[in-house]
Amino acid sequence: MKKLSVWKIIIYIFLVIMAVLYLAPLLWTFNVAFKTNKEIFTAPFALPQNPTMENFTFAWTAGKLGIATLNSFIVCVVTLLFSMIIGSMAAFGIARLRWKFSHLALVYFLTGMMIPVHCVLIPLFTRFAKVGLSNSLTGLVLPYLTFSLPITIFIMVGFFEGMPNELIESACIDGASIYQIFFKVCLPLGKTGLFVTGLMTFVGNWNELLLAMVFISDDMKKTLPVSLSKFVGPYNTNYSQMFAAIIIAIIPTIIVYCAFSNQIVDGLTAGAVKG
Amino acid sequence: MDKLLRNKKAIVIFMAPALILFTFILFIPICQSVYYSFCDYNALTPAKWVGLKNYQGLLGDKTLKIALKNSVFFLIYSCVTQLIMGLFLAALLTNIDKGRNLFKNIIYLPCVLSSAALGLLWMFIFSPKLGINQLLQKLGMEGPLWLMDTKGFIILPMWVIAFVALWQYVGQSMMLYMAQISGISKSLYEASYIDGCSKAKSFRYITLPLVRPMVATAMSLNAIGSLKFFDMIFNMTEGGPNHKTEVLATHLYQQGFKYFKYGYASAIGVLLLVLCLAVTLFINKVVKTEPYEM
Amino acid sequence: MKKKLIATLMSAMMIASVFTGCGASGGSSDSASSSDGSADGVQEITWMFWDDLDATQDLISLGYKENVERFNKDYEGQYHVNVVTTNLEEYYDKLNALVAAGETPDVFIVSPGPQLTDYVAPGIAAPLDDYLADGWKDTFTSDAVFTQQTYDGKIYAVPLNTAAACCFYNTEMFEKAGVEVPTNWDEMLDACDKLQSAGFTPITISAGTAWCLSMVAGYLCEAEGVDLSKLADGSASWEDGKLEAAATKLLDLSKYFQPTAAGDTNDVATANFYNEEAAILIQGSWAIGQINGENPEFESKCGVFQFPGVQRLIAKSDSLCMSSSTKSPEACAAFMKYFTDDTAQKYTAEVGGKIPVTKVEYDASAAPAQLAYVMDIFENAKGTFGFYNESMPTTETGSHFDDTMVSVFLGDMTPAEAATDMEEFYQANCR
Repeated sequence: MKKLSVWKIIIYIFLVIMAVLYLAPLLWTFNVAFKTNKEIFTAPFALPQNPTMENFTFAWTAGKLGIATLNSFIVCVVTLLFSMIIGSMAAFGIARLRWKFSHLALVYFLTGMMIPVHCVLIPLFTRFAKVGLSNSLTGLVLPYLTFSLPITIFIMVGFFEGMPNELIESACIDGASIYQIFFKVCLPLGKTGLFVTGLMTFVGNWNELLLAMVFISDDMKKTLPVSLSKFVGPYNTNYSQMFAAIIIAIIPTIIVYCAFSNQIVDGLTAGAVKG
Repeated sequence: MDKLLRNKKAIVIFMAPALILFTFILFIPICQSVYYSFCDYNALTPAKWVGLKNYQGLLGDKTLKIALKNSVFFLIYSCVTQLIMGLFLAALLTNIDKGRNLFKNIIYLPCVLSSAALGLLWMFIFSPKLGINQLLQKLGMEGPLWLMDTKGFIILPMWVIAFVALWQYVGQSMMLYMAQISGISKSLYEASYIDGCSKAKSFRYITLPLVRPMVATAMSLNAIGSLKFFDMIFNMTEGGPNHKTEVLATHLYQQGFKYFKYGYASAIGVLLLVLCLAVTLFINKVVKTEPYEM
Repeated sequence: MKKKLIATLMSAMMIASVFTGCGASGGSSDSASSSDGSADGVQEITWMFWDDLDATQDLISLGYKENVERFNKDYEGQYHVNVVTTNLEEYYDKLNALVAAGETPDVFIVSPGPQLTDYVAPGIAAPLDDYLADGWKDTFTSDAVFTQQTYDGKIYAVPLNTAAACCFYNTEMFEKAGVEVPTNWDEMLDACDKLQSAGFTPITISAGTAWCLSMVAGYLCEAEGVDLSKLADGSASWEDGKLEAAATKLLDLSKYFQPTAAGDTNDVATANFYNEEAAILIQGSWAIGQINGENPEFESKCGVFQFPGVQRLIAKSDSLCMSSSTKSPEACAAFMKYFTDDTAQKYTAEVGGKIPVTKVEYDASAAPAQLAYVMDIFENAKGTFGFYNESMPTTETGSHFDDTMVSVFLGDMTPAEAATDMEEFYQANCR
């Protein structure tokens, strides 16, 4: 064990360097958010001379960040829940149920992952406008949900395929129905995967700009990334206010992330104990 | 059990919601987009069928060649580095006890932040007037033009962008690998230690083979992600200087949304789709093996 | 634990659905009120604009916001305008998507040039002559302001203000270096040389934002006598030596740029000027508001001169179009008039620092000092021409010109190669 401790120290030193590499740019953002535009350009690294909260108050009121946060939250949570349920059901269907076209179905879903959103933007918007889904949060949830499905399915298929056959067999022998096997046996075991994909979905949608920008016109329905882009003017950008707005925008993400990451840790340890 | 798993009704119930959503919201628009790739269409006037003209245009498009080169570079770079760094970090973090969550959270943190915002931030950091060049200057060094240099086969800005992308997304690979590693039975490791295996050896002979299915998954994700990579390049260089940092996705955006050649952009989209499919198939053929029974 | 989790998920879902329910019902009540409204005779129109009216600090945008408020107040019970905003980056994406979906905003802003052509050619923008005929047109300074908005003798957009590209300079630095305002090309190089020997950075410019550098290139091409219309129809060639000469001049001038010019963005380059780190800024007059806003003390030190060696001035007007599919053209016309009435145009000059398009009399002492200089130059110039990137056959061609100039500046292309490249591009795409 003594020998290992030297290694441990090296590992920790390495990790601390990594941590600095990760945190420094973010701390710099914090630093900038308290400055004036003039200061940003003259002394980008120095600490702010007269730290001002003005940027934050302006960003909050003018960017309507409160309502935008709420909108983003609604859209992302609804999308997350549905994509987890619908996605893992389909993944289970592909990975475990036995039918001729299961592999084809997987390929079919995967193509969705490969299409850049720009390609389908205009056809999708035209369609949605016809059925009255443009300029509504529902109209945003539907594409978000659909775009989240392929990645959820892809990762969950991996998890379900990795599960030992015996598990399902024994549940079968106990007389469980297929739904019980899915909800009571497989889904809980795939929890880790579910949280990872959930996190990815949530984060991806939380930061999505283009669809939200094109689909939503009403100021009261705009999501956070759209509100952030308000600070980019036609000829110049209000960097200090924009960074203040970015800070406001990432705080909820970090909170949600911390909540979820603990769940992931739970999942990880649970898996380890079971093994 | 076989009967249970072949239950038609169950299959329909499990698959229907996803299939319906996917078909109506993604697949039909994709088909429309493929149709547009054979049209002269600018979204403002009705589409006009022009056959293969857009695809012929791809052949003579100089920017497309640069974009293709950069995309392929980006694909290889991110697949390799994400695999190595992701696995390495995952292995390190599963081997330490104190501060595991802290470091994991820190490294994963950029994944949850908007890459548009981060792109902007990094653009600041690499801009000559504001960023690290000022720090280098204080140390008496002259920093290069990080985002504007145009020399070499793969120009410096592409390396910079690739580095930033690794910085942002390595947490995701790490997380996937950690999830897989933690699923490996502890008793396997214990047995190997008793047999006199070092940590490195047990990593080589136990961890690596067992995370292999996840390597295929994570790598495919990386590959597709890197081919579709857009936000960060758009915010750091906008494809400039003179299209030297263009990748397929930014070229598609420029053509479709800046110049309104929607039909042509759709043709690039189809190319991108084909490329993604080919790469994913390749990765799955080469990397994926039958899952080990644990 | 599991039950708890499910319970939380369920409740979260309930809350979410309640919220979305609220959102949806809120939306429908909105539309209900608007349909109620139209029953009362209120005609609703939408205006689409490329800057957020609440978050912006752009003085011109703030002026537009006032126009909207005035219109809605004056026409209360009759017309109402709703504003749809995006930022400039996504503006045309969204506008095109709306057009494709048949939801073209009733009034929208565009840059004149190929972008306006995109909306005029397919008949998306309506001709405005009928509305201008009632005396509205006479309020404008001259018919010439409509040149870029006229297609086949019909006017398709109304200009709101004019910005001109000029050289802003730091009078204090000029004095210290003993430099006079240059009036021709040699004097310009000479002035830069003297400024440099006096220890100043002569010129601040952005090559990171390509159109900034290309603006200078546009002036240099003008000085060499490049004729864009002849180039477009093929009766002239880019390889006739004019572009090569202009690009060579650009390289000569680039010796006096700030060392970080290659990577600096527009914002950084402008900041270099108002933070008094460089003597000359070549920029559109929209920058006045930004300069004075960020560093108010600088206004008294800031002079303006015309780009040396050219007779004409690069100018640009933001313009409003009316949708040809609008249901309330009267309301749209009334709304557009609010941008060119005396109050708005006075604001344009006195606060916004842009050149008014109408014959309005404004208080020159209230306007930024620089505006008077710009006006002066504007009146003395022998006409105007558009930004090069907005005067070429397509938007893409304009960007290609910008990029080519950046490549020349970075040393990636020689001036001769740039000329060949432009000619090839024109042959493949424009003729």
